[in-house]
Amino acid sequence: MIASSLFLVAGCSDSGVKAAAPSTPAAGSPIQISTSHCGQGWTHPAAGRQTLTMTNTGTVAADAYVIDVPGGAVYGEIEGLAPGVTRSLPIMLGQGTYAIRCQPEDGDPLVGPSVRIGGTDASGPAAVPVTYNDLYGPTKQYQEYVAGGVKTLLAKTRTLTSAVDRGDPKAAKRAWLPAHLAYEKLGAAYDTFGDFGDAIDGLPVGLPKGVHDPGFAGFHRVEYGLWHGESMSSLRKPADQLLKDVKGLKADLPNEDMEPGDLPLRAHEIMENTLQFELTEKADQGSGTSLATASANLEGTREAVDLLRPLLQSRYTGLKQMDAQLDRVQRLLDAQKHGDSWTPVASLDPSARESIDGAVGELLERLAPIATICYPRRTS
Amino acid sequence: MSGYDRRTFLRGALATGIAGTVAGATVDRASADSSPASAAGAPPIPPFHGLHQAAVLSAPRRRTIVAAFDVVTEGRGELADLFHTMTDRARLLTTGGATPQVGITAPPADSGILGPDVPGGDLMVTLGVGASLFDDRYGLAALKPAGLTTMPMFPNDDLDPAWCHGDLVLQLEADDDDTVLHALRDIARHTRGAMQVRWRMNGFTSPPRPTGTQRNLLGFKDGIANPATKNAAEMDGLVWVNGKAPEPAWTAGGSYFVVRLIRMLVEFWDRVGIDEQEEMFGRSKDTGAPLDGAREQDVPQYHLDPEGTVIPLTSHIRRANPRTAETDAGRILRRGFNYDKGMDSVGDLDVGLIFTCYQQDLRRQFEATQKRLEDEPLVDYISPFGGGYFFALPGVQDASRSFGGFIEV
Repeated sequence: MIASSLFLVAGCSDSGVKAAAPSTPAAGSPIQISTSHCGQGWTHPAAGRQTLTMTNTGTVAADAYVIDVPGGAVYGEIEGLAPGVTRSLPIMLGQGTYAIRCQPEDGDPLVGPSVRIGGTDASGPAAVPVTYNDLYGPTKQYQEYVAGGVKTLLAKTRTLTSAVDRGDPKAAKRAWLPAHLAYEKLGAAYDTFGDFGDAIDGLPVGLPKGVHDPGFAGFHRVEYGLWHGESMSSLRKPADQLLKDVKGLKADLPNEDMEPGDLPLRAHEIMENTLQFELTEKADQGSGTSLATASANLEGTREAVDLLRPLLQSRYTGLKQMDAQLDRVQRLLDAQKHGDSWTPVASLDPSARESIDGAVGELLERLAPIATICYPRRTS
Repeated sequence: MSGYDRRTFLRGALATGIAGTVAGATVDRASADSSPASAAGAPPIPPFHGLHQAAVLSAPRRRTIVAAFDVVTEGRGELADLFHTMTDRARLLTTGGATPQVGITAPPADSGILGPDVPGGDLMVTLGVGASLFDDRYGLAALKPAGLTTMPMFPNDDLDPAWCHGDLVLQLEADDDDTVLHALRDIARHTRGAMQVRWRMNGFTSPPRPTGTQRNLLGFKDGIANPATKNAAEMDGLVWVNGKAPEPAWTAGGSYFVVRLIRMLVEFWDRVGIDEQEEMFGRSKDTGAPLDGAREQDVPQYHLDPEGTVIPLTSHIRRANPRTAETDAGRILRRGFNYDKGMDSVGDLDVGLIFTCYQQDLRRQFEATQKRLEDEPLVDYISPFGGGYFFALPGVQDASRSFGGFIEV
């Protein structure tokens, strides 16, 4: 990393800035990032696709932003620039007024001198940063959503467990899906609930004995037993353990602090999981309900997106198209619901499967910018 | 909201990048001559814009990906948009340039596997359409190229539906694996939700061993007797569709494109004596010369050997191209690539040939050739299992046009 920065610094002294030159370092000395000289050295502001070099001449690490003046929208950033280090920032700048904002690790931000770029070129896309404070409300609301959902989850898990306990496989099978969907609607993805996540919704992957491993637990363990003709008595233990873990999750929730940066990530990661484990049917243990899970995941995704919507409205130009794609996926999934049952992925006709896979793929492309735009950044 | 708008979301940023890099990209093109491939003797890759798609008459490059897609867009507007996107990406990927910067508004616009700038002049992109695109989904029946059908099952075929056909076919060619893979990844990303890969096969050409035409994985030089791509009259007669009835006018400048995925049973083949191998092909394995000649380019004199004493009547080269006046217009322009995709269930190598060919008329050319080759002795050592019939679209002539022009008229 440092070696390549040095190369760019060395190279920048002999080439002028040309709008069209790909990745050409800017002329002159690097732009300074520090509390005393923030933004100094940006002596030849020019339009076009270019690479700015920035050196932290201060004594503490700092984030550096190229911002719009006076709006504050960010065109490019270098996060965590260490003292003495020079890094390059490829950026696309057009007509307008810009400044460098230096955000020292533990201090107040500084905005450097404004620079003007003339001409008629348009800049690359920019967005006003989202702050930790901005994310506080949506994160709290999301936690409330989860808390409400966990209550439903507990009630439905009780129904499932009591059906297993009284040895009624038909009722247990009927109760399994609603309980599982209650969990899937929470929008858990990538270790959201820590150990509870694995205990409640873990897959047999990574277990030495797979589905027969004593460590295989939770909804999918019960699913495996119910749809592989295991005796009700042998399923009592995993079903009771599931109920215990759901109760544990509920009790633990108030202690779980959700990072403000998690919610924006959740916006695409829930459906990343859906594509990876549900649409491939990897998670399925015999119930053939992967598309029901996908639909529940979509609901969880919508919740995350809707809570972030006020922040996205002015920042994400593709919001409308993203909404249309959420609807499209919903429509394609709904078409596979028949009363209380869903078409198993393996039974989908190939063109229906391609349509769902393709639509979810496109949805992910449209959800991904949310995580980048809403990544929490300090502005004060 | 129209489909076009819907899909411009991802392109928006990239389009900005393109506008800013035209000059740089032009420089890149001019430097194509000094690319490693050229240094090794391969001719430079022609520009993207032209009457015909660049790869059809160009020498195959070292690496290829052939991928067939099923279109999953809803409605003709979105289909037109898909063609626009494919055109934009093909133009950018072949021309090269700096990748656009999207700041904090999105993840990086490019995978970056070719570095911060996409090199120009390293890639050829060929796009074709299959008969299924003209079914009732998009109301395109009246525009279907007259000779375009679904590839039939030939008597020696063992076709696997999962490896056959497709609404679209895309062939990427370059001299390096990362170049073709970067292009596929880029195109797939920008067309997400509009098309899904149905099948794909990676392939490679081999360098001359030791000279002349490349060898296939049976060890024989393959593709020696191709029509002359520099002879415009011959190409007009054998390769290009001219757009005259019964063909729809839009097809002018395109060409029928056959892809055949042919497994070669190389372990079995390696247990066959050299005389039998050579008689099956009709050529010397070492030199590539016909069995009645001395050099690779020697023309077999079938009229001096009417009984097939020297070059058996059943040999591959004699059946494929009898070199008679009647079969002269039936010649095809072959473009072979080897493939290597692992092992089969008994531990044999799963390798073979991505046979592709271009022609003006599928019946007169490929199918007539295929008919003559039926039950040739070689069929015991090969197994065609996939591929399809496609129509390689006419070239995109300038920056204002798209591959999809034909559905917008």
